[in-house]
Amino acid sequence: MSLIDFDDVAYTYDGSSYVLRDIDLRIERGSFTCILGGNGSGKSTLAKHINALLTPDRGTVRVLGWPTDDAKNRFFIRSKAGMVFQNPDDQLVASLIENDVAFGPENLGVENPELRQRVTDALHEVGLQGFEKNETAALSGGQKQRVAIAGVLAMDPDIIILDEASAMLDPRGRHGLMKVCRALHNRGMTVVMITHFMEEAAEADRVIVLDGGSIVADGTPGEILTDENRLRSQALDVPPAVQLSDLLRQRGVPVDVSVGEDELVSDVERLLGAHGRKQARATGSPAEGIALPAQTGGRSGMPAGTFDHANAPAGGSSEAGFPAGENVPGEAGFPAGAGASPEAGAAATDGAASDGKAHALVFDHVSYSYDARAARAEGKRRRSRTRKQDASPATTEAAAWGSDPNATWALRDVSFTLEDGAFLGIAGHTGSGKSTLVQHMNGLLHPLSGRVLVGGTNIASKKAAAYARAHVGLVFQYPERQLFAATVADDVAFGPRNLGLSDAEVDERVRRALMMVGLDYDDVAAASPFTLSGGQQRRVAIAGVLAMGPKTLILDEPAAGLDPESRENLLDLVRRLHDEQGLTIVMVSHNMDDLARLCSQVLVMDQGRVAAFGTPAQVFADEAGLKAIGLGVPFAVHVANRLRACGCDLGAAPAGGLYDRESLADAIAARWRAAQADDTRAQDADSGAAGDADAEAMR
Amino acid sequence: MSTPAVFGRYWPADSPLHRLDPRTKILGSIALLVIVFCAGTYPALLVCAALMFALFACAHVPAGQALKSIAPLLFIIVITALLNLLFVQGGTVYASAGPLAISQAGVHAAVFLSIRLALLLLSGSLLTMTTTTLDISDGFERLLAPLARFGVPAHELSLVVGIALRFLPQFVDELHTIRAAQESRGGGLAARRGGASRLTSLIIPLFTSAFRHANTLSSAMEARCYHGAVGRTRLCPIAFARRDGVAAAVLAASLAVVIAVTALT
Repeated sequence: MSLIDFDDVAYTYDGSSYVLRDIDLRIERGSFTCILGGNGSGKSTLAKHINALLTPDRGTVRVLGWPTDDAKNRFFIRSKAGMVFQNPDDQLVASLIENDVAFGPENLGVENPELRQRVTDALHEVGLQGFEKNETAALSGGQKQRVAIAGVLAMDPDIIILDEASAMLDPRGRHGLMKVCRALHNRGMTVVMITHFMEEAAEADRVIVLDGGSIVADGTPGEILTDENRLRSQALDVPPAVQLSDLLRQRGVPVDVSVGEDELVSDVERLLGAHGRKQARATGSPAEGIALPAQTGGRSGMPAGTFDHANAPAGGSSEAGFPAGENVPGEAGFPAGAGASPEAGAAATDGAASDGKAHALVFDHVSYSYDARAARAEGKRRRSRTRKQDASPATTEAAAWGSDPNATWALRDVSFTLEDGAFLGIAGHTGSGKSTLVQHMNGLLHPLSGRVLVGGTNIASKKAAAYARAHVGLVFQYPERQLFAATVADDVAFGPRNLGLSDAEVDERVRRALMMVGLDYDDVAAASPFTLSGGQQRRVAIAGVLAMGPKTLILDEPAAGLDPESRENLLDLVRRLHDEQGLTIVMVSHNMDDLARLCSQVLVMDQGRVAAFGTPAQVFADEAGLKAIGLGVPFAVHVANRLRACGCDLGAAPAGGLYDRESLADAIAARWRAAQADDTRAQDADSGAAGDADAEAMR
Repeated sequence: MSTPAVFGRYWPADSPLHRLDPRTKILGSIALLVIVFCAGTYPALLVCAALMFALFACAHVPAGQALKSIAPLLFIIVITALLNLLFVQGGTVYASAGPLAISQAGVHAAVFLSIRLALLLLSGSLLTMTTTTLDISDGFERLLAPLARFGVPAHELSLVVGIALRFLPQFVDELHTIRAAQESRGGGLAARRGGASRLTSLIIPLFTSAFRHANTLSSAMEARCYHGAVGRTRLCPIAFARRDGVAAAVLAASLAVVIAVTALT
């Protein structure tokens, strides 16, 4: 008997259109199953059938052999099939962690001391031991989700269902969640996970793809995730390793299509293998050396990134670009590119670059704290806090899992300059100061020390801040949550009306803004924003900011929580706003591949400080430095570095200094052909000449 | 996000006061209100203040934190003081303008009532700072339990209170974000013509969010086998202990002292 048994299940919410149809599915004890599918594919509905939150309209669902449609069984089924929901803020019941974890077993009537033991054990299993008395409200998203898992574990279930539980988490939170799931699976728990993330699906032992309410694919990750065409047709992401191996195969390199990065790297290493290393020794070039881009300003005609600290992240040294101490650079450092104007210095005087290019945004030694008084008395507080932490080990541990919410300084001596028309990406952990930073850009927050210049104007005064708000549009995370008006047109018109424009002008602005976000005025203007899809709501919210007529647009994780297809569309929209409308863009993102692909400059924040600032090529050249603060580099760059580390010479860095998947595939293919040619020459002297010529041409 | 001062936000600590039965603390804070109301003279108020100080010290809450906790309600004290200052007449008149006059009795009433109000607020704050929301709602549930016979839904009421308190800090944070977002769209500017008012632009997203939270929360509770009060156990069962008796004795003695001091001065 299977643990979970769907027999010809169909379900409809409204009685006419079926969200699930003809579902036949058996899930065995101890398995790790991933369910994939685009929005509206029915995957959440399917999940809710497993713990009897929904019961089928046709067919039967049996869990541990008990049919879910019998109301008598539901209580038992729910105690054995626990569910974790998407939004970490929605599912915790109590203010204190231990009370929340105990909620389930309390409902089951578990008595002390077993109840207490279950709470302790469950928290231990999710890596939150000692957090019993902490408040749920003070946790990070990832920690909240782990508390939710602990709440399920305390019910002693056989099955744990995660309904897009990682969708709203940052990479670190996702990583922690995945670690817990892996550990649970290893000790025999049956895990059913609904997700958009391919790196999570790759860890499952079975992948099911839903489309239009039916199962369209069912197999191992190796079978399902390597089928690039099918994944694309289901609006799913393609795992990066699969994409790269496909690109290599197109170029004639006979790698296996693999889901995992490790397999791919060892495959490529084997193919290039001996040859690459031999050549590296022969030419004497250190294989580990990270090639720095020789030229500056490879992208969008931007000058080289301005580094605040005299040390550019030069090749190899992990420390250089990442000042660890609290040292304040006395004078702005020299720009990395020789011959570039000393912009930081010029900016400090009048906010206009010496080359005549206007500065959209200048941060000049900006520091900020949410608690101004406490910030001044920081030293004193820090000492007393240390004492407090001694008393409760949990608080000290909290800092290890996330940024300390009590950290006094949200920004520390932040300086950088952004030209008109730039596309700046901001990376950093939750709590690293990104949100505080962007709220300084349009005068919502004012620095405690230092200055912020928008278009050359210091926005410290109230009037200047109002000016900044009209010129710098800020799109918050999940902006659709701020929609309020009865119609889309009214909502978008909120900003222009606040500017005191005439009705005709407001209408013109609304039409233009909706057009800019790719929505049809006639279709949506009269509709209620709440009737639109999630992706469309987000576009309306962005239109509401664009209608203010900003020259600079700031987006805080614009693609967060969207499925792969809507995500891609939204990023394309941002790219077009930059390329076609000429807006200066500032985009906060956790996705390094997106940043490398879209941005002209990247700013890395860590604990309120600028950890690195420059072109993507400059910033991502230092993988070790980024890793030290818990961040990664784009996939292609990472693979290239791994290959170099195991001695494969990839030749000169690509134009622009940064590998993307295409250029990395090109480089590997060229090396592989050269290796082939060498082997042939060794075997057959006749064809040697041709192979040599070939290899030369490739170089 | 900044953490704004919220009236009486729970102060995690392991103090004798934190360990008291929540019923004792609920009844005790009512007793404290009575004590403060019984204090009719400055010396009696001083006794109350000393008692309050001792209680906060006993709860391991720093004095500054205690005062900070009532800061959001400071406006009530200020308004009351102003009204008394201006409208209570009697004794020497220090200054006057038209029908308004600041007199000795007015100053006395303003100062006295301000202190009394501050002490009242502190006693409320003491309860919420030392008692988790779940304990407070449990306490209320148990206190109301005898009324369940007459159809009062004690368990449901306490659950409603508990969940409301659990979501309070979250809504404060969300409101801050919504306000910042609407401000970014010029929502704080004076110019506004015909469009939605500032208030609707804040309230509607907040309510939408509340409904969205409620929707998932009910599923999440159902998924964790919630089925009402029947057959539910408690992680921290509440039971009276010796310290609850001690607390009751301390409060009774304080009440006697305050009444005596008021009568003697």
